[in-house]
Order: sequence, then structure tokens, then C-alpha cells
Amino acid sequence: MTETLSVTVDRRDGLAVIYTEGYINNQGGEEIAKVAYKLLEEGYKVLLLNLAGTKIVNSIGISILIEIIEKMLEIDGKLGFCCLTPTIEKTFHIMGLAQYAPIYSDEASAVAQIRA
Amino acid sequence: MAGTAPAGPVQPAWDELLALFRDEAGERQLLERLLDLWRREHGAKAAGLYLDHSGTLEREAAVGDGLPHVVEAGSTDGLGSLRFPGGRLLFSPPGTLAPQAADRAAASDPLTLLLAASLKSCRLKQELKEQQFQVNYRVVELEALYDVGLAVASTLDLDRLSEEILLRAVSLLDARRGALYLLEDGRYRLDRIFGGEAADWLAADDPGLHAFLAGASEAPASLLPGARYLLGVPIEVESGRRGLLVVGDKESRRGVGPFLTSDRRTLSLFANQAALALENARLHLQALEKERLEREMHLASEIQRQILPKGAPSVPGFDLVGWYRPARQVGGDYYDLFPVRGGRIGLVVGDVSGKGMPAALMVSTLHSALRLLFDHLEFGPLLLERLNRHIVESSASNKFITMLLAEMDPRTGVLHYMNAGHNPGILLRHDGSVDQLGAGGLPLGLMPAARFQSRALTLEPGDLLCIYTDGITEAESQDEEEFGMGRLIDLLRRERHRPLQELVEVIPQIVGEHSQGLPQGDDQTLVLMRRDL
Repeated sequence: MTETLSVTVDRRDGLAVIYTEGYINNQGGEEIAKVAYKLLEEGYKVLLLNLAGTKIVNSIGISILIEIIEKMLEIDGKLGFCCLTPTIEKTFHIMGLAQYAPIYSDEASAVAQIRA
Repeated sequence: MAGTAPAGPVQPAWDELLALFRDEAGERQLLERLLDLWRREHGAKAAGLYLDHSGTLEREAAVGDGLPHVVEAGSTDGLGSLRFPGGRLLFSPPGTLAPQAADRAAASDPLTLLLAASLKSCRLKQELKEQQFQVNYRVVELEALYDVGLAVASTLDLDRLSEEILLRAVSLLDARRGALYLLEDGRYRLDRIFGGEAADWLAADDPGLHAFLAGASEAPASLLPGARYLLGVPIEVESGRRGLLVVGDKESRRGVGPFLTSDRRTLSLFANQAALALENARLHLQALEKERLEREMHLASEIQRQILPKGAPSVPGFDLVGWYRPARQVGGDYYDLFPVRGGRIGLVVGDVSGKGMPAALMVSTLHSALRLLFDHLEFGPLLLERLNRHIVESSASNKFITMLLAEMDPRTGVLHYMNAGHNPGILLRHDGSVDQLGAGGLPLGLMPAARFQSRALTLEPGDLLCIYTDGITEAESQDEEEFGMGRLIDLLRRERHRPLQELVEVIPQIVGEHSQGLPQGDDQTLVLMRRDL
């Protein structure tokens, strides 16, 4: 299992998909934030986080994701998640992330619905 | 803030401010508006409101350029600073307010007071948010324990459970690393690891490890090399310790630090779940193994029953019977009674060393080999020598077989026999005297080049032959006295006139009475043959 997080990005028309591979902890969260804020500077206002490669998130990682969500809300942007493990999805619901960032089961439906 | 605008160089648009105050989404705009008014009031180029997080100032709102997002409270050189409870107002250029003017500004300037009140509000909101976060995360922890408990109860896949338990423990404790060890052969074996490396094996009797688990000392250096802060707990069930759960380097936004007392409690809860999972899996494996063994024993027992003769061949002028009772479900004794070419009768009684399945498997090998050899060779030393070599080559070095092998010609009553280390057969003559069919060679399976002797005697009318295994003569009483050959001979003399079908039941019954209720310690076999009068 990969522990150190790696991030890749797929830029599409008006939407950027961020793929994570590994542990979303302090380091992993900061990496996601760095990429996300750069995408915002590039003008992307709709971001989708595909967490298919992530099995584990800790509270530090969650707090950083919350900050990213707050930033998106400030600029009237949208952030969504897809491909979460059941454990992570449950955690996001309890921690309130799902209230502000919708969770989709797969990337295709996420891409179709997040722009709506 | 309702109503009248205060006098001053800048006249705030109070209606605008009131509207922003009432709009829940307008909080940031309200702060920025107030900062802008303050900046213009005091002639600053930039102004920002900062919350103090344990000595680090993080910007909540700002107007103008050049103000950092984050700055250490002790490093605000180059910026003007007004202290508020819970934070600061930073501004540039620093000369905007003379130092002695700063206190007066804080005391009397309505805009400054409003900003101070706003910062307090931000602080309270932040604290509330953090507390809510902590409460929610406790729920996540409880849900995790519940989910793991459900998984433990519903699956015996130890691999999946081990991974689940370790990942949950690492994430909930905000650890960077973790390891799960299982106790095996008196040592702890690394079963699962997350992040970095860990020692593959740990000595279970290491006093340093014990002290670490009790929270009394640092971890052994080999445990999670490179980790600065470790926490470990034992995985224990009622019957003893089963393993260890260890995590390393608790994270915060500022780096790594030591684990808290509450973390030990949380980790122990996960260790308890791991213990249940391990115990369930062990018991299940044990039950499966027991079931498998029972199936195998049953099968072996069936095979043995098939090997044993269904009945004695009919021999004109002779009465012949065999009897066998294993000490366990399967045994190492063997007998066979079978017709041989030329109208003769083959008799075999054998005793494989050991008990249970291994001995039973060897009996099966012996049976096949013996029948084959009897088909191809004449009765004599060569037959036994061939059998011996086969046994030596095909069995474990510590296995041997004692055997009394005989072939009888019913037309003449002549019995040829070979005794390979077996108990001497008893020939009770019609006049009460006894001849013994003694040993003429080593047990089979000991030496590949062993030699054997064939001897002969003649059964006269009324003579009774008894071939047996040592489970009969070595059966012990409560006082550890063996039944012995003497008692067997006396018993044969006493009961010689009984039909053989009865005699073959009476002998073990009397032996059992001698054992005074003790369980049968060894397999017991009898072959009886009597020449009719």
C-alpha cells in the first residue's frame, strides 16, 4: 500500500479532476491543497477529487480538505468527491464535508453532475 | 450598531455596515469594510486582522497589499501592530500609528473597537468550529470501533481484518506509521506494516519491550526505525498475549509529536478488537483442523476395515478365526487370512510401530505389498527379505513392523512360519503342552539386508494355534502388572474347548478384566486356528 501521497491532475473543459494515490494526512493534504489552489489561480472553479487510490485519511487531512472546501465556497466554486471507500465516505458524512461537497460513486457520474 | 454614526474624519456608511452585519454570508465583507475604513481613518496602506494560534498569526481578512497570510507573533518587524485579545491588527507602514498612540487608538477609536470585537467573534467561531470538529471526530472513532467490531463478528478473513484494524488505528490516531505483530513460536512476527519499516521479529521476553508496552519507557530502537514518537499496546485474549499493535509519530499541522494518554486508550480498544478477531480465526481454524482430522480418521478407519479380512477362509479340517480392535479410531496392528495357491492358507499378524494415522498408512502399504509377494513368490525367507527391503525404502526411518507370517497346508497340517521380531506364537498341543513359534529375524524395516529363517511344525488334531499382538500380553492392570504370556497360555488351556468364535471374544474380555477398567492402551489382534479332532 502506498503511504506517501502522490497527486495527478486531468484538466478538462471548465473542470479539473485531481487524482490521489496514498494517505491523506498532513503531507498529503498539503499536496492536494497546493494543487487545488494552483488550479484556482489558473481559473478553474469546478474541482473533482477522485480518491480511488486512497484508503486512509486522518483528521489533519480532513481539516485541510475542509479548508479547500471553504475556499471554494468563498469564490463561488464547486468541489466534489468521487470513488471513496465506504469508510472514508462515512467519515466525510460525519465530519460534515458532504454537506458542502457532494460525493459521487464514480467519476463518470461525478463529471456529469458536478457541473449542473 | 443601529442608528447614529459617530463623529470622526471618516464617516462610515452605517446602513451598509448594518446590512453586511445582518447578512450571514457577508462576514468577510464586513471585516474588509471595517479594515478599509480603519486604514483610511489612520492613513495606512494595508491593514489586516489576524488570529493568534499559539504564537502564529493567521490572517482572517485584509485590505491593501503586502500583508503576509501567516506570520510568527514575534516576527512582525516591518509591520505596525495593535494587540487585541486573541489576535492582532497588523498594518503597514508601521509608522501609521506612533507606539504611544496605539494604546489610545485601541481605547477610544470606535473602528478599532469594532475590529477588536470582530476579532473576538472570529476567535469564538474558530473555537466552536474546532470543538465541533473534535466532537465529530469522536463520532468517527466510535463508528470505526463499531464497524471493526461488526467485521470481526462477521468474517474470519484474518488478512483483511488485520489490515482494516491497522489502517483504522493509524488514521484515527493521526499517526504516520503503524505495525501489527503476531505472537508465533515465542516471538513476535511482523504481520502488517504501514509507512516506513519495522523489525521483522521481536523477542517476546525483551524487558525493554515490556516496559515500552506498559508505557514506562521508550520503544526499542528496532521497532519502527526512524519514528520519533511511538505508542504500543499488547493484543491479549483470556488465554494470553497474541500480538502487538504499534503506531508512530502523531501528526499535527506543525509536524509530529508524542501521543496522548487518550490515544493509548483508543489504541487499546483497537487491540481488543484485533484480539477478538485473532481468537475467532484461531478457534475456527482449530475447528476446521479437527473436522479435517476426524474426516481423515474416518476415511482411514474405513480403508482399514476394507483391508481386514471379512471372514476367515473355509479350511477343511480346520477352524480359523481372526479378531482385531484398535486402541484409537485407526491402528497399527494388522492381520490377514487368505488362500494361497496349492490349496494352502496364509496367515499374517503384524504390528506397526506407533499409533494412529502414520501407523495405519503403513499397514495399508504392508497389506498391498504382502499380497503381491505371496502371488509371485513361494513361502520362504526370500519373500520376507523382499518385503523388508520394500518397507525400508518406503517408510520413515523410525518405523518398523514386527510380523509372524505363516503358510499352512491343510492336507498335511504342516505349518511353515517366519517370525520377524514378533511375539512368539503359541501352539497349545492337544495334550496341553506348548510349543512356541519364536523369532527368526529382526523386525521388518530396520535393516535393508536383514535375513530371516523359515521353520516348520505340524498341527495335530486338537492342536490350537494362537498368534497375537503385544496389545494382548502387555495390557496392564491398575498395579501396572502385564497380562503376560503365562496368563494367555493358562487361559487357552482353560478355554480350549470353546468354539473359536467364542474364544476369540473371551480372550479380550478376560484381558479387559485384568486391566480393571483402564482404557485400552494398544491395538489388540488375535488369530486362532484349531485342527479338528
